[in-house]
Amino acid sequence: MSTENVSRTSNSATTSAKLKNAAGEYLTFVLGEEQYGLEILKVQEIRGYDAVTQISNTPEFIKGVVNLRGKIVPIVDLRIKFHLGKVEYDEFTVVIILNLNGRVVGIVVDGVSDVMALKEEQIRDVPSLVSNIDTKYIVGLASVEEQMFILVDIEQLMSSQEMALMDEIAVH
Amino acid sequence: MTIDMSQFYEVFFDEAEELLAEAERLLLSIDIDSPDTEDLNAIFRAAHSIKGGAATFGFMDMTEITHVLENLLDKIRKNEMALTAEHVDAFLAAKDVLKMEVDGHRLATAVDEEQVADVKMMLKQLSEAGAAVVKPAQATPAPVAAPVVAAPVVEDKPAASVSVASVPDDGLTRFNIVLPEVSEKDMTNLKEELGLLGDVESSQNENNRYVFKLTTDSTQADIISICSFVLDPDDLVITVSAPAAQAEAKPAVVEDPGFGLFEDEAKASTESASASEAKSNTSGVNIHEEVGYGLFAVDGKNDVEEGYGFFAPFQPHKDAAVAELIGDDTVATEANSGKAELAKAEAAAVASKAAASEATDRRNQGRRESDKAPASAESSSIRVGIEKVDQLINLVGELVITQAMIEQRISQLDPVQHEPLINSVGQLTRNTRDLQESVMSIRMMPMDFVFSRFPRMVRDLAAKLGKKVEFVTVGATTELDKGLIERIVDPLTHLVRNSVDHGIETPEGRRAAGKSETGTLTLSAAHKGGSIVIEVTDDGAGLSRDKLLAKAAKNGLPVSESMSDTEVFNLIFAPGFSTAEVVTDVSGRGVGMDVVKRNITAMNGVVEIRSALGYGTTISIALPLTLAILDGMSVSLGNSIYVIPLNLIVETLQPRAEDIKTVTGEGRMVHVRGEYLPIIALHSLFNHHTDITDPTQGVLVLLESDGKKSALFVDRLVGQQQVVIKSLETNYRKVPGVSGATIMGDGCVALILDVSAIIQMGQTTNYLTGAPPFSHYQNAQLIENQATTKELTK
Repeated sequence: MSTENVSRTSNSATTSAKLKNAAGEYLTFVLGEEQYGLEILKVQEIRGYDAVTQISNTPEFIKGVVNLRGKIVPIVDLRIKFHLGKVEYDEFTVVIILNLNGRVVGIVVDGVSDVMALKEEQIRDVPSLVSNIDTKYIVGLASVEEQMFILVDIEQLMSSQEMALMDEIAVH
Repeated sequence: MTIDMSQFYEVFFDEAEELLAEAERLLLSIDIDSPDTEDLNAIFRAAHSIKGGAATFGFMDMTEITHVLENLLDKIRKNEMALTAEHVDAFLAAKDVLKMEVDGHRLATAVDEEQVADVKMMLKQLSEAGAAVVKPAQATPAPVAAPVVAAPVVEDKPAASVSVASVPDDGLTRFNIVLPEVSEKDMTNLKEELGLLGDVESSQNENNRYVFKLTTDSTQADIISICSFVLDPDDLVITVSAPAAQAEAKPAVVEDPGFGLFEDEAKASTESASASEAKSNTSGVNIHEEVGYGLFAVDGKNDVEEGYGFFAPFQPHKDAAVAELIGDDTVATEANSGKAELAKAEAAAVASKAAASEATDRRNQGRRESDKAPASAESSSIRVGIEKVDQLINLVGELVITQAMIEQRISQLDPVQHEPLINSVGQLTRNTRDLQESVMSIRMMPMDFVFSRFPRMVRDLAAKLGKKVEFVTVGATTELDKGLIERIVDPLTHLVRNSVDHGIETPEGRRAAGKSETGTLTLSAAHKGGSIVIEVTDDGAGLSRDKLLAKAAKNGLPVSESMSDTEVFNLIFAPGFSTAEVVTDVSGRGVGMDVVKRNITAMNGVVEIRSALGYGTTISIALPLTLAILDGMSVSLGNSIYVIPLNLIVETLQPRAEDIKTVTGEGRMVHVRGEYLPIIALHSLFNHHTDITDPTQGVLVLLESDGKKSALFVDRLVGQQQVVIKSLETNYRKVPGVSGATIMGDGCVALILDVSAIIQMGQTTNYLTGAPPFSHYQNAQLIENQATTKELTK
């Protein structure tokens, strides 16, 4: 637990540096009650949820793989991963296809809301506990018109060990 | 301005390898008594192209060898020398050395310098021996000076010269060094210094200049650097002359691309005529008169030195003369001479203008782009990166799937109402199929790429073993996927070697058996259905069933007299079989045969042996046409489909209840024809929900991999089909028990099972506790895969 605290404090020290580069366009999406944002440049496309092939012996939040125009792409349900929202799959279920350094991954979210341009001054530091997502994967918070958006460093998050999307050593 | 040459290196290496392979093929097929002029020319051209390329890229070692090789070849093709078996051997040895050097440059592998030197010496000796007999005039060292090194020499105050007067066999070079006017003290100092390099004799010439005769293995560059302690190197004139017949390739030659290139045989007659003219001329030239011409300044003296041709690209109007002199290089080596020569050259130039300018063109282009030399081949093919082709194949694969989906939808429409649409889709179907076929054919290469390396190997091996072997290839034009071509080489090499070594008997043995002394080894390739069948056939001793059985029994393998011949022959694939004691006619066939089998299985291929004692053996390899496609059996488990590679399936069966046995600690076994095989339930291995948990309700697929058999319990068989293999690891990670994924006709993803991993996983399953062995296995797999994945993600 103490190591956790240490990592958090060291994190907030670097956060201000992180914030400097945080300005840009974000795709915002909903997970449960919370609004999240991720860098739009990481998004390849948005599509519906269909025909996922299960992979044996994987964590529950890895739904399986789909055929994305000939590529085999894993699908992660962030709702299951972060225990947010109701896990239902219907025609409104949205999958955000991310392209993270050439690796293509799909994430299932409750809904996609908007694309917004955020300026540096709109983005604030992260208080220690704000969401179910570990703060080390959070770039900052943005408040726009009374609403708060949690800006996620999606690349860090998806390549983290706990996502089990890559073989351990591959995590950089 | 410098051009980054490294981008052309790969092209050069590829090309050099192709040329070497071609040269070797020609050499092996050549009839020594009456060689085909065309073949000789082709070999010569190959050597020449490599030399040109090597010089362009500064691979001096290769230039040296090819230069010597080329000179010898040149004499033979001009009938100045008769081709002998010795020559062919020397050429083949030179080819090996060049290959080694190419690899050395390309892959940084070790180059055996000694072997290089040996070969060079051998070629030189052959060249001289022939020259002495046929053209004694050429062998006399003519004191001809030629420009050598782009030394900072001021052309208009030539004061000293160094010339190579002869090239002794021992690798030493004799330089004639003419000093500027120096004091006696300086001269003595210099002599001492040069004495460190080799033997020095000093004398004075008619102009009262000191002349050193230095015999050394050092280069001109060394001499310059030594002289520069005493003299201004600008005053030092260095010229080189070599006997006309000598093929002396020094670094100096490489520094000057002009030496590395000359016209091809089309102009040979013209050139040799003018060349001999030039030669007769050179002998009379006084070194001192030509001193000024024996050197050239790097910095813009070219207007004076047009005759020497080193600045051809800047003087197109002197092309003819330039080429003429380059031509001399071929025959008379570095025999360039003075003014008289220049005049001569220019006169001759008129006659050989067309040819010469062409030569210059070639030269200039060769200098800039190494791939220019085989111009004819260039126009009919292009080099494309393999990843581009793969991408194309992928996309076409997608197109085919999409098209199949449309077709499926269309079939539900009313055929009368939608006739035009249905017709159009029919057209689309045909077009897509054609497109797919032609795209797939891009990756295909003729088997000749593999076969062509064997004649040499068989020849050498047969000679070494004292056997007579005739090597025959059949179906060399049969095409196979490039990826497979590359991977089939090793196993095939092993099989061919085995056949020569152990299959074909000695001439005496064959005579005793009533066969002709010369054994026949046939390598054939042919299409059969959806696969390609490659066969290595020999008419040797054949496999002895009895000996194999005895040997197997001794090795503790489960054998019985009732085994079929095929089963008995397959014993040689057992790991370690026949590695130990000799089983005479069979010995060695087991060495590495398990590796051969494993390699071929990895390519989704099948090996089969047919043999008749006393009549020979055929080893037949059946391969799928391409690596990316797998013959698979799709099976269902719950709501999922899995694909099992067909070549690993022995049979499928629905077991009866009485065949299923429970063994304490071992889980369930199934009794199949006297064998008890462990049952691996895929649903419990994969924690996959299914309603069918009783093996008698489902299907058992008997799998065999790495010599281990298991019965995989699945719900149902769905069908047999060819599937395109896709990697899971591109975007995801390695999944234990799964080797890849594929896209089914309906666009869904199906996982391809990794049979050997599943058999392994099945063995570690503890059915008693019901706990899946997974975590344990997974960890082991993860550790195993970490290294690979790390590399992949970098």
